[in-house]
Amino acid sequence: MASVKLTNVKKIYDNNVVAVHDFNLEIKDKEFVVFVGPSGCGKSTTLRMIAGLEEISEGTVEIDGEVVNDLQPKDRGIAMVFQNYALYPHMSVYDNIAFSLRLQKESEDVIYDKVTKAAEILGITEYLMRKPRALSGGQRQRVAIGRAMVRNSKVFLMDEPLSNLDAKLRNQMRAEIILLRQKLDTTFIYVTHDQTEAMTLADRIVIMKDGYIMQVGTPDEVFDMPDNLFVAEFIGAPKMNIVKTKLVLEGGKYYVTPFGAKIEVTGEKGDELRKRKVPAKDILLGVRPEHIQLTDAGHDSIPCTLVVDEMMGSELHLHVDTADGTRLIVRTPTLEMSKAQRSAMVGGAKLHISFGGNAMHLFDAQTEKNLLT
Amino acid sequence: MKKYSDLEFLRLSKWQKFCYRIIAFFCGIPGAIAGFFLNIGKTIQKGFQSFIAELKDIAITFTTGDWKTKVSYIVMGFGNLTHGQFLRGIMFLLFEIVFLFYMITTGGYWLSMLPSLGHQGPTKEYNAIYDQYTTTYNDNSFKILLYGVLTIFFIVAFIYTWRANVKQCKTINMILKRGGKLKRSGDDLRSLVDESFYKTLLALPLTGILVFTVMPIVFMVLVAFTNYDGAHNGYSNALFTWVGLDNFNTLFSWQSAGGGQSYSATFGEILTWTLIWAFLATFTNYFLGMFVAMMINKKGIRLKKMWRTILVMTVAIPQFISLLYVSKMFARNGLVNLTLQGMGLINSPLPFWENPMWARVTVIIINIWIGIPYLMLITTGILMNIPADLYESARIDGANGWQQYTKITLPYMLFITGPYLLTSFTGNMNNFNVIYLLTGGAPTNSAASGAAGSVGYTDLLITWLFKITTGAESQYYLASVVGIMVFVVVALISLVVYNLLPSIKNEEDYQ
Amino acid sequence: MATKEKTLVETQQRHMGMKALNRISNTAVYILLTVISIVWLLPFAFILLQSFRVESTSPVGYVIPQQWGLDNYLQLWNSDFKRWYINTFIIALFAAVFVTIIQLCMSYTLSRFRFKLRGPMMRFMLILGMFPGMLTMIILYRVLADLGLTQANAVPGLILVSVASSGMGYYVSKGFFDTIPKSLDEAARVDGATRLQVLYKIILPLSKPIVIYTILTAFMGPWGDYVFARYVAFGTSAGYNVAVGMYSWLTNDQIAQMYTTFCAGGVIVAIPVTILFLCLQKYYVEGVTGGAVKG
Repeated sequence: MASVKLTNVKKIYDNNVVAVHDFNLEIKDKEFVVFVGPSGCGKSTTLRMIAGLEEISEGTVEIDGEVVNDLQPKDRGIAMVFQNYALYPHMSVYDNIAFSLRLQKESEDVIYDKVTKAAEILGITEYLMRKPRALSGGQRQRVAIGRAMVRNSKVFLMDEPLSNLDAKLRNQMRAEIILLRQKLDTTFIYVTHDQTEAMTLADRIVIMKDGYIMQVGTPDEVFDMPDNLFVAEFIGAPKMNIVKTKLVLEGGKYYVTPFGAKIEVTGEKGDELRKRKVPAKDILLGVRPEHIQLTDAGHDSIPCTLVVDEMMGSELHLHVDTADGTRLIVRTPTLEMSKAQRSAMVGGAKLHISFGGNAMHLFDAQTEKNLLT
Repeated sequence: MKKYSDLEFLRLSKWQKFCYRIIAFFCGIPGAIAGFFLNIGKTIQKGFQSFIAELKDIAITFTTGDWKTKVSYIVMGFGNLTHGQFLRGIMFLLFEIVFLFYMITTGGYWLSMLPSLGHQGPTKEYNAIYDQYTTTYNDNSFKILLYGVLTIFFIVAFIYTWRANVKQCKTINMILKRGGKLKRSGDDLRSLVDESFYKTLLALPLTGILVFTVMPIVFMVLVAFTNYDGAHNGYSNALFTWVGLDNFNTLFSWQSAGGGQSYSATFGEILTWTLIWAFLATFTNYFLGMFVAMMINKKGIRLKKMWRTILVMTVAIPQFISLLYVSKMFARNGLVNLTLQGMGLINSPLPFWENPMWARVTVIIINIWIGIPYLMLITTGILMNIPADLYESARIDGANGWQQYTKITLPYMLFITGPYLLTSFTGNMNNFNVIYLLTGGAPTNSAASGAAGSVGYTDLLITWLFKITTGAESQYYLASVVGIMVFVVVALISLVVYNLLPSIKNEEDYQ
Repeated sequence: MATKEKTLVETQQRHMGMKALNRISNTAVYILLTVISIVWLLPFAFILLQSFRVESTSPVGYVIPQQWGLDNYLQLWNSDFKRWYINTFIIALFAAVFVTIIQLCMSYTLSRFRFKLRGPMMRFMLILGMFPGMLTMIILYRVLADLGLTQANAVPGLILVSVASSGMGYYVSKGFFDTIPKSLDEAARVDGATRLQVLYKIILPLSKPIVIYTILTAFMGPWGDYVFARYVAFGTSAGYNVAVGMYSWLTNDQIAQMYTTFCAGGVIVAIPVTILFLCLQKYYVEGVTGGAVKG
C-alpha cells in the first residue's frame, strides 16, 4: 500500500542502447496502472527497474517516499508475477507459496494459515501438494499470483502475466485479476502488450513506444482523446482507420475532405478548432471502425465496394474500398440486420457509408499529434 | 568483384552460385583481416582514451576533494577509515603496508635483477684442506625471472588497488553530497553473499587460474626470449640470460643447425602432419560417429539402449589402458601380426609402426575406434532434437533418404556442432595422449631429428614439445617457441572459423 | 480400366518394395552394429582373457590362455601397483570434490552475474586456453619441486595442479546453467532470497545432472592422466599414478615380464571406473549432449 514515483528514470544498456528515456510518472496509492506498448517499447524494463532486477542508469525510483535505487529487490517491499510464472520446479505448490515466508523466518503455523488462505482465494487448495509440472497453465498462473499475494507487499508488479495463456483462459483470468485487486486493495503495476487487458484492468494506462511515454490517461481518455497517431492506432480493435486528407476552413466552419467527400467537423471538436483558430492544413483523419455507419445512398454518404467480410458473431467487420482506393474497416452490429441484408454482404457489393463529424480524430500530418490536445 | 543482388544471384546456375560463393569468400578474407586489425587499432585507441580519462579523473578527484581525500592519495584507505568504513579502510591500508614491505625487502631486488637475469653464476673454489672443490651458488636466473614476473604482477595489482582507493573517495563524497547513507563494514560483509556474491564465488577459481595458468604462461612466453635449457638451468650449472629474438630466428631460418635438417623444415613437417592429423581425426570421427548414431536411431532398430551402452562402456575405460594395449596389439610381434602370420596370410609382419605411412594411417584408424563412442553420444542427442516435421515435409516434397540427410540432417548438425567441431579440431592438434601412448612419435624421422631432438613421423607439435623438454638437452627455450607457435596457429584457425561459423552469425536461424 | 488396374498393381509393388527394402536395410544395420560392437569390445575382452594367462608373461599370438590362473593379479598385489592405485584414487577423489566446487562456482557466476569484467574475463580465458597446457609444466615442476611436492610427494602436487586451473573448464556446466530460466533467480530474489540462498535453495536442487556429470568427469580424469603425472613424479615409483606406472611395464625392457600383469592392472583399473560410469551414464550423456555442444 504505497505510492510509486519515478523521476527522470533512464535505462541505458551496456551496448549503449537506450531502452527507457526520461520516464516520469507518479503512481498513487492503491492505483492500478498498466504499462502497455508493442514489444521493445521499454515497458518491462521500467517494471524491472522498479522491482530492482535491472539497474537504474539515471533518475530515481521512490516507493512510499523512499528512494529505492540502491536497495535489493527483497528490500523494496514488492511482489512480482512473472510472464513464465517462474515457479520453482522442485518445490510443491505449498512450498512455492511458502518460500518467501520461510525466508522471513515465519513460524510454520503462520505460514500454514497464510498459504491455505491464499490457496482458497485462488481455488488451488486441492493442488497444494503437487509439483508445478503437474499443473495446467491457468493453475500455474494462480500459484504464481498466490506466491506474490502472501508477501504482504506494498506494490504488486505483474509482467505480462496472461500472455502465456490461451485466449479463453486469458479472459477468465483477467476477470479474476479484477476480483483479486478488489480483495488485495494495494498498488498494482501491470505490464502487457494487449490493449484489451490494459483497457479492462487499468485505472490509468501508460502507453509506451521506443522507450518514450506516448500518453498517460484513464482508459476513457486514451480511447476518446488519443494524444497522437500512435496511441490512436494502438488502442481499440480493429484499429482506427487513418486517411490522409486536408482540413479546410470555409465560412467559419471546418471541413475535412477525404475520398472526394466533404464532411463538416461538428460538435465539441468543431468548437474546439474554432476556439484554437487552427489554420487549414494537411491532416491525418482517424475514424474508429465502430463510428462508421452503413447508410443508404444520399448526398452525405460515401460510396464504396466491399472487399472482405468477417463475421465475428455479434458484429460484422467489413473491409471496403472507397472510390479512390482507400481501404477502410467498418464494424457493424448484426443484431438488426435482416437475412437478406446479411446475404447481400459479399465481396463486390456496393455499399454506402457515413460517419459523424464529432467522431473524427484529427492529427497533424507532420507531427502526428492530435490537433485538439 | 561484381556484387550480385539477391534476385540476380537466384538467376545463376548451380555451378555459378558455387563459384560466386567461393570467390566471395576469398574476396572477403582481406576485408576480414583488415577489420580484425582495425578492431585492434580501435581497441588500443579506446584503451588509450580511457587511460587519459582515468588520469583526468584522478587529478580532478584530487583537486576537488577535501583533505581526507588528499591524504588517501598517500595513505590508502584513509578516506574510508575517516568515514567509518573500517573494513574497507583497513583492507586498503593493509595491502599498502604489505606491498611497501615486500618491495623494500625483496621485490626491489628481483626487479633490479630482471634485466640481466643475474650476474654471477655458480663458482667453484678449490679447498686445499679437504682437497676438493666446493661450489658456491650465487644468482638464480630462474628465481629472478619467476619473482620478477610476480613482482610486476604485484605492482599492477597495487596500481589497480590504489586507483580503486581513489575511486572510493570520490564515491563517498558523491553519496554524502546526495545525502545518501554510506555502506558500513557489516553491509560489505552481507553483500558478499548477495549482490557481490560473484566476488566470493570467483575468488578461489580466479586465484587458481592466475597462479597456475596465467603466471606460468607469462613466464614461459618470456623463456622464449632467453637461452634457458639443460645446460643453462640458471642455478647449478650456468645462468641463462636474455637473447632477444634469437630463438625465433633459429626456428625460422632455413640454415641447418649443426648439420642435418634446419629447424624450420622440421617445424614445417611436423606442423603439416599436425594439421592433417587434426583435420582427419576430427572429421572421420564426426561423420562415422554420426553414422553410427543414425544407425542406432533408425526406425525399427531394436535394442537401441544395448547398442548404445556397448559403445558408451568404452568411453569409461581410461584411455591409457586401451591405447597402450592396442598399440602393443599392432606391434611387430603383437597379436595382430602373430595371428595373421599364424593363419598364413602374411609372411613377414606388417609394418604398422615402422613405416611412416602405415603408422599415420593406423593412428587415424585407432583414433576412430577411440572417438566414435563419444561422438555417437553427442550426435544422438542432437539428432533426436531435429524436429520430425522437417523430415515429414521433406518426404512429402519427395526427398529420398540420402537427400534428407544432405539437405536436413547435415546442415542442422553442422550448424549446431560448429563450435564443437572447432574445439575438437584444436583439441586434436594438441591430442598428446593418442599419439604419445600409441606410437610415442615413431617411426623416427632421422632427417628431421638432430639438434631439435628425436622427431618421429607421427609426432605432433605437442609431442615434439614434450620430447624437447624431456630430452637430453632440455631446450626449454625451444619448447617455449614451439608452444607460442602452437598458440598462434590455434588462434589463427579459431579466428577464421569463428568469423565463418553460421552459428555465431545467425543465431536465430534454427531456433 | 486396364490402366487403373495397372497403377494399382504398381502401387502394391511399390509398397511391397518399400517394405522389403526396409527389411533389407534393417538387416544390414543389425549386421553392421554387431560387427561394430564386436570390434569395439574385442580388445577389452582380450585384456580380460590375457590377464588370466599363466603360462607366459609376454605378448603372444593367441588370446585364450592355455593355463588359467590368478598369478598376474598376485603379481600386481606384490608390485608397486597398490601404491599407484591408492595414489590415483586419492587424486581422483580430491579432484572430484574440488574441481566440482571450482567449476560450479565459475560457471554459475558466469551464467548468472553480469559484472563489468565478465566479458573480458571470458575472452581472456578463451585465449589462455589456446596455449598448450604442457608448456606450463616446466615451470610448475620447478615450483612444485621448491615446495617439495614432486617425486615421492607427487600426489598433493598433482592434486594442486589439477584443481588449480580447473576453473577454465567451465563451458559445459555454464551451458547447463544457462538453460535454467533466469526468472527463477529473479522470482526468488523478489521473494527475499539473497544470491547465496538462490544458489543453494533454487539452483543447486535443479542442477543434479550437471553436478553429477562434473563429479564424474573430474573423478575419471586422473585415471587417464599420463603426461603431467609422469613429469611430476619422474623416476620415483612411489609417486606414480596408474598410468605412469603401468606405462613403464610396457617399455621394451619390461614388456616380456610384465605384459600380462599390465592386462590384470588394466582390468582392476577399468572395472570400478566403468561400473561407476555405467551407473551414472544417464547424467553423463545429458551433460555431454547438453553442454559440450553449446560450449
